[in-house]
Amino acid sequence: MVFSSLVFLFAYLPITLLAYYLVPRQGRNIFLFIVNLIFYGWGEPKLVLLMVFNIFFNYIGGWLVDKYRADAKKKKLFLILTCILDIGILAVFKYTGMITETLNMLPFLNIPELKISLPIGISFYTFQTMSYVIDVYRDDAPVSKNFINFGTYVALFPQLIAGPIVRYRDVAEQLVNRRETLEMFTKGVKLFMVGLAKKVIIANTMGTLTTNIFATTDENGVVGTWVGMIAYTFQIYFDFSGYSDMACGLGNMLGFEFLKNFNYPYIAKSITDFWRRWHISLSTWFKEYVYIPLGGNRKGVKRQILNLLIVWGLTGLWHGAAYNFVLWGLYYGLLLILEKFVLKKFLDKLPSFVQHIYTLFIVIIGWGLFYFTDVGQLGEFMVDLFNFGNGICGDQAFNLIMSNLPMLIIAAIASTPLATMIYTRFEHTRFMWIPETLYCIGVLAVSTAGLVNQSYNPFLYFRF
Amino acid sequence: MHFADNRSKIGKYIPAVVFLIFIYGMALWFLFSPKTDYSSSEKRYLQKFPEVNAEKLLSGEFGSEFETFFADQFPQRNTWVGLNAYTALAEGNNGASGVYNCKNGYLINKPVSTDNNLDKNISAVADFAKSIDAPTTVMLVPSTGYIVDDVLPTFHDKYNDDEDISKISSTLSKDKIGFVDLRERFKSEYKNGSQLYYKTDHHWTTKGAYTGYQELCKALGVTPIDDSTLKKDSYPNFYGTTYSSSGFWLTPPDNIEIWSNPNNSSKNISVKITEGSNVKTSGSMYFTDHLKEDDKYPVFIDGNHALTEITNTNAKNGTILLIKDSFSHSLAPFLAENYSKVVLVDLRYYKESVSQLVSTYNPEQVVVLYGIDNLATDTDIVWLK
Repeated sequence: MVFSSLVFLFAYLPITLLAYYLVPRQGRNIFLFIVNLIFYGWGEPKLVLLMVFNIFFNYIGGWLVDKYRADAKKKKLFLILTCILDIGILAVFKYTGMITETLNMLPFLNIPELKISLPIGISFYTFQTMSYVIDVYRDDAPVSKNFINFGTYVALFPQLIAGPIVRYRDVAEQLVNRRETLEMFTKGVKLFMVGLAKKVIIANTMGTLTTNIFATTDENGVVGTWVGMIAYTFQIYFDFSGYSDMACGLGNMLGFEFLKNFNYPYIAKSITDFWRRWHISLSTWFKEYVYIPLGGNRKGVKRQILNLLIVWGLTGLWHGAAYNFVLWGLYYGLLLILEKFVLKKFLDKLPSFVQHIYTLFIVIIGWGLFYFTDVGQLGEFMVDLFNFGNGICGDQAFNLIMSNLPMLIIAAIASTPLATMIYTRFEHTRFMWIPETLYCIGVLAVSTAGLVNQSYNPFLYFRF
Repeated sequence: MHFADNRSKIGKYIPAVVFLIFIYGMALWFLFSPKTDYSSSEKRYLQKFPEVNAEKLLSGEFGSEFETFFADQFPQRNTWVGLNAYTALAEGNNGASGVYNCKNGYLINKPVSTDNNLDKNISAVADFAKSIDAPTTVMLVPSTGYIVDDVLPTFHDKYNDDEDISKISSTLSKDKIGFVDLRERFKSEYKNGSQLYYKTDHHWTTKGAYTGYQELCKALGVTPIDDSTLKKDSYPNFYGTTYSSSGFWLTPPDNIEIWSNPNNSSKNISVKITEGSNVKTSGSMYFTDHLKEDDKYPVFIDGNHALTEITNTNAKNGTILLIKDSFSHSLAPFLAENYSKVVLVDLRYYKESVSQLVSTYNPEQVVVLYGIDNLATDTDIVWLK
């Protein structure tokens, strides 16, 4: 189930909220655990078993690591076993296709293709459970004595499908001891409304624009190609950060507080800055559980460069089981290394608008690597970005851009902190609730209309 | 500078209250609203509450059917669709769901994709025409947006009728197949103020069909019936296909006109409709029951059927056979003034051999008549044999 669906908004959420607040406090976690499983199993019930298995062995893993905390060898052994199992399951379910395809490139091999569909959210919950076991090992988090509480943490429906990747240590206290307040609930509603608007109003419009522009790749011209990729740049940000906002908002409604996952990434002044603002929970995860254990920057420059490349190759691979994602990760790895050791000094001296343009240029090209999974198409796209031989802007692309211009402008403004700045200034004024309420009504109405419209399929060539 | 916390004590919770009222209100409304089986604006059956059994629950089929059920039966579904369409307009879009919102109340389909079946379909028609003995004439109805181009939104995609028609006519002339080009006549009629297309439907009006009929007669060498001898009746509140697919519910409806010959009656007219082994007959070409519906176009010869045969014992010429889409429905009654037998074959439903039909009926003329957009997207003509 996804948040931006009619069933979630008007069936699952009302029922869950009502029951959650009716259940006495000590029963709330087990209630959440059960509804989380329903939420997850809605589309693919069998995969609930996989997730429960994952929760189970990580729970045991954490327990064993804790039990043998005096015995360094055994403690390490149980940590490694748990992590191998975690990564192994992720590899089987996510990367089997990619691995067999790669091996089949060898002339003497012909492995039959296995069709394994990717269980939703597996990349997210695997990383969450691993963070738990590693944190217990490092004494950064207390061991969870209660299976239900641990299961509730892993399967917590707000962040289950698309993050943020919540570390156990950040919510351990809240799992046992949280106070739901009306204040927090209202904050959650407002955040949820921001996320819903980002997803249904901006991201979906930008997505349609991108698809329509790239439906014909050869006639777009330079401007058409750029705007198509800029629209995708907006789509991916508003989709993802919208989902994170909805997750944090829903968390608030249930009394949880999650860390922020995005911090206006498109106003970054360097690639280093961009990655401090984009999908923060993922970069933090890789930094803490891969980069630092590999030695980070403490083992000399050569080792540091190698570590960065490993981390960014893996970051790319995490995003999808295809080589263009690895390429996308390494692209950022190399740029970050370049910035760290060479460019930083020069960049800092440049006027800030040049720094912004430099960053956005790299980010937009980066989304090109992300969007075109086919290497041939990717090559064509890269040429189209700079080849004026194809004209400035194709007719169709021009019409699409012009009829989406207002939304492109809104998306650009919404990528900056402007609205938040204005809002925080007036947040505590007496009548602020009036625009807030109007905003909520508007977003609810327009989003519901958009969602209903998706199901409206006139069958006009039949019976007329 | 920030203001001190002056929020009204109750006011600050109102956004949450409104949110809760909205989601619980819609949930309850859904629960208690009557469920419907059929959507007349979509012309399809809606999902009913899915069957519950262990297998469906475990496979996830129940989940996905329930989602369809929820969306299909959502309260005030059409209102939401309309709100979505007008939101798109407010966001600066030129239309919604593949339909342009145009001046003067026109709702016009966007141009069909240039990546279409036109070439394939035309060569299938040409091959067929060469294989039969009767002479064949092709007539295509230009797309609405091509003729009614002054009402289109500022930013719209190009209608490719000019390129397409010149390509088609050169293909057909190589094989000596007749082609009726309606472009010039339609443009000048439209300039003179005639309404040739409906505003809320993709079809031509009765005036448009009559104009097409005149041009077809010219090509076939027969004299069209003078429209001043016809009785013209107009019926209001026709909401057509572009209306229902776009969701622009505030668009005013069309009138639909019937131009009938007052001398016709069931004494000289009979209509025989064959759908598989099912045959029904009528003494009139107009099925006025359909005037009660929103979409009134099926008033002409009862809409789409595999095989329709109109007999007029008063007409002088012999048999004419039309391979056609729904544009022919409003034109066929005029042709019946000239031909004693008008046979209409719809390849979307008729799956037998058409050359077999040609040898059965032995028509003096075969006409292929399609709206050009339909011909470009059709996937059945290639099976023409």
